Amino acid sequence: MTHAIDVRQLHKSFGDLEVLKGIDFTVNAGEVVCVLGPSGSGKSTLLRCLNRLEESNSGTILIDGEDITDIDADVDQLRSNIGMVFQQFNLFPHLTVLKNLTVAQTGVLKRPKDEAIGIAREMLDRVGLSDKIHEYPAHLSGGQAQRVAIARALSMKPKMMLFDEPTSALDPELVGEVLDVMRTLAGEGMTMMVVTHEIGFAQEVADRVVFMDDGVVVEEGSPEAVLRNPNEERTKQFLRMVLET
Amino acid sequence: MVRPLARFRTMTSLTPRQRARYYQIAMYSAAAVITVVVVFAADWSKIQKNFFNPEIAAEMFPEVITSAVKNTALYTLLSFVLGMVLALGLALMRLSSLKAFRAFAIGYIELFRGLPALITLLFVGFGLPIAFSGFRIPGGVLGRGSVGLALVAGAYMAETIRAGIEAVPKGQTEAARSLGMSQTRTMFTIILPQAFRIIIPPLTNELVLLIKDTSLFFILGSTPGTKELTKFARDFMNAERNATPLTVVAALYLLITLPLTFLVRRLERSAAKAR
Repeated sequence: MTHAIDVRQLHKSFGDLEVLKGIDFTVNAGEVVCVLGPSGSGKSTLLRCLNRLEESNSGTILIDGEDITDIDADVDQLRSNIGMVFQQFNLFPHLTVLKNLTVAQTGVLKRPKDEAIGIAREMLDRVGLSDKIHEYPAHLSGGQAQRVAIARALSMKPKMMLFDEPTSALDPELVGEVLDVMRTLAGEGMTMMVVTHEIGFAQEVADRVVFMDDGVVVEEGSPEAVLRNPNEERTKQFLRMVLET
Repeated sequence: MVRPLARFRTMTSLTPRQRARYYQIAMYSAAAVITVVVVFAADWSKIQKNFFNPEIAAEMFPEVITSAVKNTALYTLLSFVLGMVLALGLALMRLSSLKAFRAFAIGYIELFRGLPALITLLFVGFGLPIAFSGFRIPGGVLGRGSVGLALVAGAYMAETIRAGIEAVPKGQTEAARSLGMSQTRTMFTIILPQAFRIIIPPLTNELVLLIKDTSLFFILGSTPGTKELTKFARDFMNAERNATPLTVVAALYLLITLPLTFLVRRLERSAAKAR
């Protein structure tokens, strides 16, 4: 059976700094995988390699069985199938919410304008922000902006979603609304890979938790196994530090 | 024992506030004296006759508006539009991943920023027909002058546009690319619209500079129909042996440039607020 994401012996360096030291790891279709680990452990870099925002140095990445590290791979086509949500939202500030959701639909997927607007409305409804359709991003709270960013990714009808610390830039009281949207999405069977510091969310929503440190996968397994009874000393140490604060 | 600061104060017997006040009074007195000297020393009747002669000013109208202002505006706009197109191309080359493009853009920008605009105008007006025998840029003074100024303005504006593009956060490119947009589409639909919003104030400044630089067009020769403000004023001044035409066109230049500079200031303020 082909995995949705299948990473083999992935290496990535920035200059002399080796950030990923041979990562092996898979995500099945419909699975929610949370990646935990201290900052600098390489988890964001791993995520960004999956849609080639970063180019890996060696190893293979198969998305639905297709090798995307291939030099002839159609990167734009690949990316339009993978939704990505960033820590800093990265909404387009010069476009309204609606335009944020339609610009790539009409430009990249060549959907007719009416269809694109219909899909945009549907996705905004899913994240509970239909009333903000004509606002500019500057008028949204952080939580709203991140929900719009999720809706923007969803309106491409991607096969999977990557989340790069989606709640790390939010005020504490706004984290919940974003996690709610992600929880719903997971419940609907979306394939999701989430780099996060939200242990509670991982425990509740993830099918599998991956713990990374220093460029390698230290430990992976069910949330119960990794978060409640970790085998590795590094995982225990990390969890102690996170749960104390 | 007397502390140093206290001793200083007794010596001058002035508080800082008093000192500031006396300093102010001294400055105002000096300004008043200079004004009085200038007012009494100047020959006001002569100044009035030579610089503010209403009959000569009246003679300039309506041609100074219908012909000279119109030509200045036309030269400026065409130079600006051509320069902008050139600058955009140069800025994109400057940021290209191809080394040859980057090298060309840098070479071009350094060359034309380093030359006086007058030299470039002379090259375009008189050098090109020699180099390419008989080749002339079409459109007469308008065409040749505007191309010449655009070559210069393009070099300056290219650096402005590049700075604008670089000021757009990297996350914008990443978000657009992650949605599957190509590099070109990302540049034109996401990055450039934001970059131009950032650089409207410096571009308006560039426009003001161009308005003034069109006064160099005289070097290309002129016919009665192609004179811009400065040339028009100089010819009028020579004919009348009077400097009033200079005063008139100076006022007209300011009438055009001052609203633009006010606009820049307002745009800068609102841009600062939006950030």
